[in-house]
Amino acid sequence: MASHRVGETGLSDSRPLHHHHHHHQHMPYSVFTDYNPPSTGFINQESSSFDFGELEEAIALQGYKIPNEENKLPLYSTVPRPAATLDMFPSWPMRVQQTPRVSNSSTDSGSAVNVAIASKPEAHSLVEPESPISSNSRETFSQQPQQQQIFRQQLQHLQIPEKLEMESEGGSPVTTGGSSHSQQAPKPFSEKTLRRLAQNREAARKSRLRKKAYLQQLESSRIRLTQLEQDLQRARSQGLFMVGGNGAGNLSSSAAMFDMEYSRWLEDDQRHMVELRKGLQSHLQDGDLRVIVDSVVAHYDELFRLKSVAAKSDVFHLFTGMWTTPAERCFLWMGGFRPSELIKMLAIQLDPLTEQQVVGIYSLQQLSQQAEEALTQGLDQLHQSLVDTIASGSVNDGFHHMTVALGKLTNLEVFVHQADNLRQQTLHQLHRILTVRQAATCFLVISEYFGRLRALSTFWASRPREAMMSDENLCQTTTDLQMVQSSQIHFSNYG
Amino acid sequence: MQYQAAPTTESWITPTTPYYYNYNYMPLPHNKHYSIVVNNDPLEKVAKLVSQSAVVIFSLSSCCMCHAVKSLFSGMGVNPTVYELDEEPVRGKEIEKALVRLMGSSMSVPVVFIGGKLVGSMDRVMGSHINGTLVPLLKKAGALWL
Repeated sequence: MASHRVGETGLSDSRPLHHHHHHHQHMPYSVFTDYNPPSTGFINQESSSFDFGELEEAIALQGYKIPNEENKLPLYSTVPRPAATLDMFPSWPMRVQQTPRVSNSSTDSGSAVNVAIASKPEAHSLVEPESPISSNSRETFSQQPQQQQIFRQQLQHLQIPEKLEMESEGGSPVTTGGSSHSQQAPKPFSEKTLRRLAQNREAARKSRLRKKAYLQQLESSRIRLTQLEQDLQRARSQGLFMVGGNGAGNLSSSAAMFDMEYSRWLEDDQRHMVELRKGLQSHLQDGDLRVIVDSVVAHYDELFRLKSVAAKSDVFHLFTGMWTTPAERCFLWMGGFRPSELIKMLAIQLDPLTEQQVVGIYSLQQLSQQAEEALTQGLDQLHQSLVDTIASGSVNDGFHHMTVALGKLTNLEVFVHQADNLRQQTLHQLHRILTVRQAATCFLVISEYFGRLRALSTFWASRPREAMMSDENLCQTTTDLQMVQSSQIHFSNYG
Repeated sequence: MQYQAAPTTESWITPTTPYYYNYNYMPLPHNKHYSIVVNNDPLEKVAKLVSQSAVVIFSLSSCCMCHAVKSLFSGMGVNPTVYELDEEPVRGKEIEKALVRLMGSSMSVPVVFIGGKLVGSMDRVMGSHINGTLVPLLKKAGALWL
């Protein structure tokens, strides 16, 4: 359509000058509107930021300015200002260069608004395109023959349709595209230069986009930082003790390391379970199965060793269960699972047991409960002692009380260690009571149980929030929790 | 708490036969009377004390893990003899140091002796409890009746 319009207003040489001028005044504008609506936003952005690509072009073009100086006849000014070449006109849209070439019918300087590419071999002065934006900028533009050169390049590289080019000649044979024009016209630039200039434009565009992306990233990081700081404030106000000056983040370095080791342990655990399942289903010999079961027990020993190492540097991380998932934390006891709960669950799931084994399992449950009770009472005494120390500190000897409290806190590590020891002993005892096949099933059940707890945490985290408001959905979730623990779960496919 | 406090006033007697420091095989006390002599070796003192009761726990009144051990035994219905080393005016510190050397760990207490034999600290007590060896041991020492 634009080309059509151009054709409409394409003027032959015979048209009177002022008429030509008049039409040309309107035409680029209309063409401008045709071409530019999709990119007006882009134009605005471009014009608002420093355009390195254009700058480079301008610098490059300035180098070529001198030999062609005599060919260019600025329209509305007397002296071209070299320094002003580098002015980026904020109000001047860059893409006005998309206006098609129109007939540069006249070679005289009197011809006005015309972005024309000389089709004749001789040099033609380019006249500025008419712009509705500002006469001021138009004037300054007219002083810049270099800019006209830029526009010429833009037009060439935008591959103006052939029809335009034909029209621009007013009859002179123009058959090829912009490249031929560049060869016919006395261009000061080689193909290489043009290519480089285009690449620079592209690079500038890319850097603008990158800058935008970077700014967005900065903004989101800033928001996340303020949230983290709020969390930190909340945690500090709740009196959580930041270990070893690592209070820079919510997670101390040893805690992060333990989390990483734990996730690796979980992966290894999955691999062990695959082996166990394969061994059970393929009815492996007891001796071979025993090897696998022993390796599983050793793997659990490894976990408790990792925990004891981590407890030395960050006992709170273990004790508060921050290394576990929320659902597991629900049942947290002294930094891990409660052995008697696990045995209760197993007693139901490992159903084909001999009477002796049943007695063994239930006595193990009872013993474990006694041990848990003893440890809990010990921990209660630690709590009470800590409360007394912290509460009774007066202003004068506040530090002394703090050091005493710190000393008492170190006992926490001992309790976590003893609790883990209890868990380890319980698992070993299970291994002793059960036959090899039963033990294999037992460990599979344990791993599956904790896996389901972890999955529950994930589902809970991604549940639809509105739905949780209704009572019916609340009941549903409690039923789900019960299902995990009830005998309705069938682990029988392992048997 | 159902444990009896240690008698603070007692005569320090020492047999003239040599003691072995391997307390797993400590001989039972004799019925002979000996001259009252202050014993300089704390471990010998310990040996003497543990031979006097079925279940002996060395503890500190401020130690919370000791409280856990005491709870464990009283929860089972056992009546252990507890020596609070911070309340023992004369030999407490020495016995504590001797126990550290004996156990090879930095935590001197709690240390449990059953039937005059060393069971260990909380680790070993828990382990023997879970694997079912503690109760028979208690019964053999006469601390538990069915």
